[in-house]
Amino acid sequence: MPGNQLLLIGLVQALFVLLVAPIFTGLSRTLRAKLHSRKGPDIFQNYRDIFKLIKRQEVVPAQASWVFRLTPSIVMATTLLIAMVIPILTLQSPLGIAGDLIAVVYLLAVVRFFFALAGLDSGSGFGGIGASREMALAVLVEPTIILVLFLVALLAGSTDLGIISQKVAAGEISYYSPAVWLGMASFAVATFIETGKLPFDLAEAEQEIQEGPLTEYSGRSLAVLKWSLYMKQVVVIALFLAVFFPFGSAAVVSTSSLLVSMATFLLKVTGFYVIAALLENSMARLLLFKAPTVTWVAFGIALLSFVFYLANV
Amino acid sequence: MLVQQLFLLSILLYAAGAVASLALNRAGKIANYASGISAFVAASAGMASAIQVFARGTGFTMEATDFIPFARFIIQVDLFSAFMVLVISLLAAATAIYSLAYQEEYVGKGAGVLGFLNNIFIASMVLVVTSGNAFYFLIFWELMTLVSYFLVSFDQENQEVVNAGFIYFLMAHAGTAMIMLSFILFFLYTGTFDFASFRSANLSPATKNLIFLLAFFGFGVKAGIMPLHIWLPRAHPVAPSNVSALMSGVMIKTAIYGLIRVSVDFLGASVWWWGLMVLAFGAISAVLGVLYAISENDLKRLLAYCSIENVGIILMGAGVGMIGAASGQPALGVLGMLAGLYHLINHAVFKGLLFLGAGSVIYRIHTKNMEEMGGLARRMPWTGLAFLTGALGISAIPPLNGFVSEWFIYQSLFMASTSSILTIKVLSPFSATLLALTGALAAMGFVKAYGATFTGPLRSDPAREAREVPVPMLTGMAILAAGCIALGLGAPVVAPYIGNVASALLSTSPVRVSDGLLVFPVSSARAMLSTPLIALLLVGLVTLPLLIVGMQAGMQAGRRIDSEPWACGYKYSPRMVYASSAFAQPLRVLFRPAYLLRATLARPGYIIALYFKGAVVYVARVEAMWEHYVYRPLVRGTVYLGKRVQALQIGNVRLYCLYIIVTLVVLLIATVR
Repeated sequence: MPGNQLLLIGLVQALFVLLVAPIFTGLSRTLRAKLHSRKGPDIFQNYRDIFKLIKRQEVVPAQASWVFRLTPSIVMATTLLIAMVIPILTLQSPLGIAGDLIAVVYLLAVVRFFFALAGLDSGSGFGGIGASREMALAVLVEPTIILVLFLVALLAGSTDLGIISQKVAAGEISYYSPAVWLGMASFAVATFIETGKLPFDLAEAEQEIQEGPLTEYSGRSLAVLKWSLYMKQVVVIALFLAVFFPFGSAAVVSTSSLLVSMATFLLKVTGFYVIAALLENSMARLLLFKAPTVTWVAFGIALLSFVFYLANV
Repeated sequence: MLVQQLFLLSILLYAAGAVASLALNRAGKIANYASGISAFVAASAGMASAIQVFARGTGFTMEATDFIPFARFIIQVDLFSAFMVLVISLLAAATAIYSLAYQEEYVGKGAGVLGFLNNIFIASMVLVVTSGNAFYFLIFWELMTLVSYFLVSFDQENQEVVNAGFIYFLMAHAGTAMIMLSFILFFLYTGTFDFASFRSANLSPATKNLIFLLAFFGFGVKAGIMPLHIWLPRAHPVAPSNVSALMSGVMIKTAIYGLIRVSVDFLGASVWWWGLMVLAFGAISAVLGVLYAISENDLKRLLAYCSIENVGIILMGAGVGMIGAASGQPALGVLGMLAGLYHLINHAVFKGLLFLGAGSVIYRIHTKNMEEMGGLARRMPWTGLAFLTGALGISAIPPLNGFVSEWFIYQSLFMASTSSILTIKVLSPFSATLLALTGALAAMGFVKAYGATFTGPLRSDPAREAREVPVPMLTGMAILAAGCIALGLGAPVVAPYIGNVASALLSTSPVRVSDGLLVFPVSSARAMLSTPLIALLLVGLVTLPLLIVGMQAGMQAGRRIDSEPWACGYKYSPRMVYASSAFAQPLRVLFRPAYLLRATLARPGYIIALYFKGAVVYVARVEAMWEHYVYRPLVRGTVYLGKRVQALQIGNVRLYCLYIIVTLVVLLIATVR
């Protein structure tokens, strides 16, 4: 069984992600407004939206089965679990005994699986399109993610995320190796795609396909689902940070070091969101069938980093 | 002694059930019960026997008095055989209960014959994996092929079925011929057909390679590995669904059994490129199999293509195991083999479940076309739940069983990546990437399969009138659904047993793969996984969103059930729903080359007026690459050659006399010299 302390840190991480996730999407909304020269909402608007939605009446299409009703809860629980496994505040994976990076990748697949299924279950045409695109995009991105993670795991000698974080933080896996920075580049692209940001918001495009699988959700289900999707963005970014930028995370666990690592984590994620905001507001939405050109490049870079890894050793 | 008796009892009960079922054919329903109940009891006895072998850690051998002078009839059960018997019996038990209700459709249409074939089929599979003699192995192998051929072509009135049966028959026998050749090579060196002496045969490296290749392709046909798979998606779907479950769930596994038996047990997996070849063919089968599965609109064909994928995944594990054995890394060998065997039992359980689920749907609405299904989860909630469990299992969704075995395969590939052989070092991470692609595709395929069948609006009249299936069918599915959960959550208990099978097979010392609630690949420093913990935490964490919602319960406005989804203000129609082919359309376009996708307008023509008169039908044909590039040229070549050879035979008697004389002269010269 896990040490009680680690389990506690895991829970702290999950709660932490739960609480801060809406800020970041708020930040991204604010930044977008600024780039559009609009006044825009303030950073905390998403909290108000969520609590307003929870109070609203829920409308469910008659065709929907229990999959539709349960999906928000399943998606949120799974995202919280991922937040417990990834080393966010410490250099150790709080729940490393529950699963390694492969488990994390497949837990992300759980989110996707139920999200897409709920889209189909709603019986809405938009939900179906969103579901189909959600899964198709995963097909394009998942090989890149696994290849890069596999490569880093090979460098660290373990697929445990905590050990990878520690070795990167200790400099045992060095940025000077081209394998690492190429891997980082391609993983950054994959992370950007996974967060569902603008050129790749193919499943939940607000203007075009009425937010896809979210179309038929309303009231508290919509609140929970939206909140989970905000969390998913942060969690995916946290995975990227845990593997490539673990600096500032607590090596020794104490209250003060945890507070420091919370602050550094917030800073790092903010950095990611600022860069992402610049990128997403300078681009138009991609056509689904144009997405492979980008994912192929990302996969190509990952392959190149693999070649460098082989050549180095 | 009890183990042997239980095993014999199991075989005798299958035989008795078969005979009784045939004899009672006229009585209809009773024949059906006789065959189903006897098969269930027989399978239970088989499972009990296999479990005892596991508990004792050793197998047993039985020998009958000689029927034929040159081949001894030996039943030889080691841990590997017992494992296979367990898998076969488990699925046989579930399908037997299922068939009690399912086969009532066939009463009056040969239910007794079906029961007879079914029992013989299961018994032949059990005997294939327990034979200790090549001669009898081949006899039971042929029996299995023949009986399954009859089961495939049970519905003789349908031309599609007859064709499927024919292709199956042809391919299966080409495979058997190769297996036979590999056994004959053993016979030439050892002088007997006993498996025991095959093990100690003294073979030259070239002979070993030849035997391996023959066995690989011979068994590969039955297993459905990629270029040899074309019979599988035709034959599996057309059989009755309980038979499809057995064919996809366990029959193709007997081929994997044979392949591992020959290459690992007899030949000692001594050459590393064998493992690499198994791994490579496995990876290709996995990716392409699931790719074809996604584009299918026929539910059972989708499942059949998916079996090719899973055979690929199993072979990936077995391939890594063989690489480990050959390159002097026993731990890697055990880990890879463990991963492959774990996926083998997992696939038997969830594919069996999915075929039974598909069977239940077809039982009610009498179509295999997913475009005509939809919304069935409300009409058949338990079937829907069971199918979803299988879909989650096969999509490797943690904490269910498919995830555990795929996790082990990733770990074994990870370990293989540190190998000292450069080719393996390069290809292992690449295989992991292909496995990730397969995983993503499989998830998409089963979101589609479940989504198109069970969710959304009801799209056809039979679907609107569908009801839940009878209790025996639900029970059969429930057994397998429980198996999916048990093999997933129970991984820390199950993995060591399968690990023992793997280490016994490679004759190395056992490797520790679990501790308490954890499983890990050989060393816990490398990685850990605990499916029970994941399940526990998921259940615990679900309370949080419920809490959030509950906090606001005082001021909640309740839930309104709306009659229809929103449709931009238009009148909603079930035709607006994203059904089966629409869902897969992006993939068809993205992977166009693999499908040889061709989009044509069914009413072509350059006269614009035509387009206003009637609907223009857009047809996207999906053609399988292999049939186009491999099999069609092969057939064309054979026909061409046949026509050329025909020139010799023009019906002129004098010419035939000339042939005889020429032959005689040639022979004469040959003997004189």
